[in-house]
Amino acid sequence: MIKKKSVGEKQPSTLRIFGRNFLHNVPGMTGLLIIGVMIVGAIFAIPLSGHNPDYIDPINSRLAPGWGHLMGTDQLGRDMLSRVLYGARQSIYIGVLASLLANLIGTVLGAVAGYLGGKFDTIVLRISELVMTFPQLILVLIAVSLLGQGINNVILIFSLTGWMTTFRLVRGEFFSLREEAFVEADRAFGFSKSRIIFRHLLPNTLSPIVVAFTVNIAIYIIAEAGLSFLGLGVPITTPTWGNLLAAAQSPVVVNEYWWLWVFPALSIVIFVLGVNFIGDGLRDVLDPRQRTASVGSTFKQSLFGKFGRKR
Amino acid sequence: MAFAISALIFFASRLSPIDPINALISPDAAADPANLERLRQELGLNDHIVIQYLHWLKELAVGNFGYSIQSGQKISEILALRMPATLELVLSALILSTVLALTLGLLAGAHRGGIADKISRVLAVIGIAVPDFFIGLALLNIFAYHLGWLPTGQRLSPGQITFWDRLPHLILPVATLTIAMVAVLIRYTRNSVLDTLNRDFVKTARSKGVPEWKVLYSHVFRNSLGPVMVILAFRLPLLVGGSILVETVFQWPGIGSTVIAAVSASDFPVIMVISMIIAMVILVSSFLVDIVKSILDPRVRLGGGAS
Repeated sequence: MIKKKSVGEKQPSTLRIFGRNFLHNVPGMTGLLIIGVMIVGAIFAIPLSGHNPDYIDPINSRLAPGWGHLMGTDQLGRDMLSRVLYGARQSIYIGVLASLLANLIGTVLGAVAGYLGGKFDTIVLRISELVMTFPQLILVLIAVSLLGQGINNVILIFSLTGWMTTFRLVRGEFFSLREEAFVEADRAFGFSKSRIIFRHLLPNTLSPIVVAFTVNIAIYIIAEAGLSFLGLGVPITTPTWGNLLAAAQSPVVVNEYWWLWVFPALSIVIFVLGVNFIGDGLRDVLDPRQRTASVGSTFKQSLFGKFGRKR
Repeated sequence: MAFAISALIFFASRLSPIDPINALISPDAAADPANLERLRQELGLNDHIVIQYLHWLKELAVGNFGYSIQSGQKISEILALRMPATLELVLSALILSTVLALTLGLLAGAHRGGIADKISRVLAVIGIAVPDFFIGLALLNIFAYHLGWLPTGQRLSPGQITFWDRLPHLILPVATLTIAMVAVLIRYTRNSVLDTLNRDFVKTARSKGVPEWKVLYSHVFRNSLGPVMVILAFRLPLLVGGSILVETVFQWPGIGSTVIAAVSASDFPVIMVISMIIAMVILVSSFLVDIVKSILDPRVRLGGGAS
């Protein structure tokens, strides 16, 4: 920034422009607000709900939502609100970390494969095609049967089965970027390959990666819920949104104790919507190309503005 | 490709730290190492891993899928029992969601801001944010328990075998899968239709005085199908994956519930065969999509550049 000031004209940094645009982006800020509230709720789980999520109180079991327990209590009399808030911690942790790891793998492989091309590229591309042939759930199930259950295993499995989309994205970007003049200049300077790839090229592809990271968080939170719902994800003793939902495996719960599964499910829905809103906002701000990419979306935009945004 | 998949599945299953022999043998017999060794020999678990793989492949090719460790049943028998149920579910959902998505997508694209467009927007949000098994649970709660219109699960009620007895059981699971599947598909159809509407040949057709419905059907619709078919092929693995969850919600006796039981019992032969079959189905269907695409769009067949 100092450098730019010395040029004479006051020019805000790119990051600040992005930040300011994001502040004016309605879906992005809505999403951020939703996620912010939920994270704060998860952090202050106990003071907010006034109950310990593991406190068993058999006399007050299966209470419908009311003033004492805003979301009712479960079969053992544990307060659902505090369990949902506690579940948020685990679910968000899994979603964020898995997405981070998957994007890291995808980015590194995509960057190297995209820049080098050749044999390495072919091999990694084939592997990604191979992995993509399977429904992700099947892959995850196979991996769970191999590695066993547990939060960290779930994260590892999700990242190992979910890196392909980011890989393809980054690889495609690098394919077009490596022909640019500044890369040629880099090569002429004799910079090492890793320096060109990670210091010069990678920052140029950061926007789509950030968007993919956000959207993936939502995908992994849904995946965790599905896996735990099947009883194959995080061990049942840890409250996650998926594990809370697993209570709905019993028909009696589905029928009579709706608050046991509706609240965790709603939390998932709201959180995922929030994350997707942020993703939309980021896409608008960081990656203007995406908006004008297809004829259809520009056409729509000229007609309805924000309303017909591509989703 | 098929070989790569089979190799991946086989070697992955052999990485497992769990010795499959333990699940097969009664704890008493396991006390005697000689017994263990004999059983290993019989099952061929002592051979070199590559030989085991080739052996497994050979048996697969002739249709001998081996035995379930868990129950000792022939896997082919389990499949024969469970496969029709899953196929029934997935195929009906596939057909229904494709028809629905294409119709609604076309309408949404043709009349922007109309009812179909609004429905498709709501569906898209649901499809993105709501886990499919939650849709299933909600439908189950409303239509089966509270309204009592439809059965709460399972494929058949005892003693009922005709098609009309089965249909009510099918409605909720298929509806769940369809809602989950249709959401994204509608958006793609709509966008594809919008793209096509903007093209010159549509203007030409209109200026020639071709009736609007004919423009939509024979000019716009056919030309916007290509991209949609590709998305359909990409969504197929998700449909199969989703059916696992939906089968659990509705206690549907299909492949999905078999897989889950097999995973909790580390029944590797069953997991291997089923994942193999699923991968094959997906490979074949993506091949079929290519064929359908070439029928719809002669340019692909001629090897010319697609639009």
